[in-house]
Amino acid sequence: MSLQVVIDGLVAGAMIGLGAIGVTLTYSILRFANFAHGEFIAWGAYFALAVSGFLGVLAPSLATPIGPFSFGWSLPIAALGAIALTAALALLVDALLFGPLRAKGGAIIILVMASFGAALTLRNLLEFIFTSRPAYYAEGLQIALRFGGVRATPDALLCLGVAAIVVVAMRFLIAKTAIGRAMRATSENPQLAGLAGVDIRKIVRIVWILGAGLAAIAGIMVGLLVQIRPTMGLDLLLPLFAAAILGGIGSAPGALLGGLIVGLAESITVRLIGAEWRAAVAFVILVAILLLRPSGLFGRPE
Amino acid sequence: MTAQALETRALVAGYERDLPIVRGVDLNVRAGEFVVLLGPNGAGKSTLVKAIAGLVPIHAGAVLINGEDSTFSPPHQKIRRGLAFVPQTENVFATLTIEENLRLAADILPNNVRARRIDELYAMFPDLAARPGRRAGQLSGGQRQMLAAARALIVAPSLLILDEPSAGLSPKIAAEVFARLQAINATGVTIVLVEQNVKAALAVASRAVILVEGEARHEGSAAELADDPIVAELYLGAAKAGA
Repeated sequence: MSLQVVIDGLVAGAMIGLGAIGVTLTYSILRFANFAHGEFIAWGAYFALAVSGFLGVLAPSLATPIGPFSFGWSLPIAALGAIALTAALALLVDALLFGPLRAKGGAIIILVMASFGAALTLRNLLEFIFTSRPAYYAEGLQIALRFGGVRATPDALLCLGVAAIVVVAMRFLIAKTAIGRAMRATSENPQLAGLAGVDIRKIVRIVWILGAGLAAIAGIMVGLLVQIRPTMGLDLLLPLFAAAILGGIGSAPGALLGGLIVGLAESITVRLIGAEWRAAVAFVILVAILLLRPSGLFGRPE
Repeated sequence: MTAQALETRALVAGYERDLPIVRGVDLNVRAGEFVVLLGPNGAGKSTLVKAIAGLVPIHAGAVLINGEDSTFSPPHQKIRRGLAFVPQTENVFATLTIEENLRLAADILPNNVRARRIDELYAMFPDLAARPGRRAGQLSGGQRQMLAAARALIVAPSLLILDEPSAGLSPKIAAEVFARLQAINATGVTIVLVEQNVKAALAVASRAVILVEGEARHEGSAAELADDPIVAELYLGAAKAGA
């Protein structure tokens, strides 16, 4: 196995991992599998596309590529806007759909089915607004850098770096801050958390904001390294859940590690067997982890 | 006139609207009192205190905490009004350390008093201070009850409600728990205790209320009820037997 396979796998895994952190957070706090999470990834990518396009028209100099990267300052600025907009979208979906269902004491299966409905709506809305034609943040080809026998584009290396920084920040937030304590407490026992003074509704909002924000970052990475399509979230859904469950529900570092493992496994499979088997890898990992260790690598047994 | 720490007015509560477990309970607890709720299994004692804490749906009636209407307030708001509730089971965060359990509860306090309150609670419960980094899930039953009480007390509540704190504990540890509750009450904290250990509860409480089939049927001073043979025979069979 060449080192190139490892690099490709890590880059793909970082994108999966960031999305999986959002899945694992919402799953552990809201206690349902949100199948609309992939759509937040796609919406994040399109929000960034729209905002960076707008900024590029407003100030063309912002579209000039920064150093070795393929994009100009318009994209990092747009990324901040996309994170905020995706978080707002997630809060809106919760206010209109999941919140009322929770208030009625809806069963988990109802929430899961509702998330399927939300996913379909959000995906088709994207297609209606932006069409199904693939889009890109930058049109130019980027020359990969060589490190010995390994090649990686500056964009890919940047994505790896951003993923590392985000996971360290998330780890700090969850392990060391009052919000993180409240999130962990709510995840373990929401009733007792309320009795400890935790405002559960506030924690739910924070989780949506964090999850959607991370989804937006993952979406921008996918858009930067692959392409932007309305179905990009759907394509990532299975790897996201495989990574979240592999890492252990509720564990942010576990989700990133799970993402890296899924990404590496996909990369190795593509090299050894063929690209048509890529989609099967996440499914095999998901089934294997559910059979062998349902609590995942860092999760606690139910 | 002594202020009311807790008042329920014709409270109807239960998990299902059509099947209330608590049926029109009027409860008045004055500030500084130590009241024990007694009654046979299924009488609705735990449901009543859970409804007061905001954990069980209330279908009719009212709950006032320190004179403020808190009927439909979520638990975190009731905590800010001076209530602390210690459930019977799952009353600590097993995956959090002792320190984290206390810091979580202290997070609603102003920044400058959090550390001091944690230190005060460690002084009150030295067993907890010995291993602050230990996960609560690894503690013994007695240590868990101590942590649960410390977590509840850290916000200096005016009203402390406990649901069977002696359940599952050895008689020696249970006696320690009751002694501590008496000491806490002596500092001015109002206590409402749900307890099956009738004899021990009546020994430490000032007043008792007996619930039967979701209704408050009898009430009186703890000493009176302890000596009342009819009440003991009807509702406190365990007490008569010396439980």
